[in-house]
Amino acid sequence: MAAMDKPALPKGGGQTVIGSTIVIDGEISGDEDLVIQGTVKGKVALKESLFVESSGVIEADIETANVEVSGHVTGNIAATEKVELKADCKVVGDIRAPRILIADGAVFKGNVDMDVGERAPKGK
Amino acid sequence: MATANGSTIIGESILINGNLQGDEDLTVRGRVEGTVRLSRTLVVEPSGVVRAEVQVRNCIIAGAVIGNVTATESVEITKEGRMVGDIAAPRVIIVDGASFKGRVDMGEVDVGAERPAARPALQRPAARPALASARPARPAAKEEAAAPAAPKPPAPPPAMGMGALKRRVVVKRK
Repeated sequence: MAAMDKPALPKGGGQTVIGSTIVIDGEISGDEDLVIQGTVKGKVALKESLFVESSGVIEADIETANVEVSGHVTGNIAATEKVELKADCKVVGDIRAPRILIADGAVFKGNVDMDVGERAPKGK
Repeated sequence: MATANGSTIIGESILINGNLQGDEDLTVRGRVEGTVRLSRTLVVEPSGVVRAEVQVRNCIIAGAVIGNVTATESVEITKEGRMVGDIAAPRVIIVDGASFKGRVDMGEVDVGAERPAARPALQRPAARPALASARPARPAAKEEAAAPAAPKPPAPPPAMGMGALKRRVVVKRK
């Protein structure tokens, strides 16, 4: 019986992990946290948080609530809450989010736009 | 082996549309559409839906799979599993309760030939002493082990495969 209940992880808050040898070419969407250690090309659309770990490589446009990048991202990031670029990340692309944190040591090239959502978006 | 980080999980609310490939085990609780190519095991859990061309080493289906599955070792459809599509694998296990529609290709089936002796149990903890003793269904296999030098090992009857299968089912219900 216990074995049957195994998949009953915290629902909705379940965590998805894309392991380091995995390559996904296409689109990922969902309502839960996503941890990427591998490679994703295409598009990522989530309603929760995206974690790009140091081995993770994303060549995709990202739309999520939160993004935390320790790996490599090439593509535009649009977050409804927060984008955090950690110390050893490499990001090329535009970032649009109300809160954007760039740590010392992060490598970033692109535009930053924090003027979203909460206030009427002025044409920048 | 990269078992420590070799585990990818696709959560229940996740939809992946496209090509997925990798060299580690993959557990699907959500949806995957497109193609899946792994050098290891794909596990489709009861909540998982895979609508894809699948090429893997082992495949365990407890959820739904629509598409053709090619495995270099084995494909198992558990009692919760549903599948529509063709299976090509040297070992195909379909347990009671599973639902399946499609073709099965286990490769060369030479009816007259003896079965290859070197067909060890699936790579799972084979030792389940309690059950094995309760269900002594594999006498042929034991004989074989006792006399490995025999030039022509007695062909294990099909009961061997069935025995392994039954044991697995029982264990899962535990």
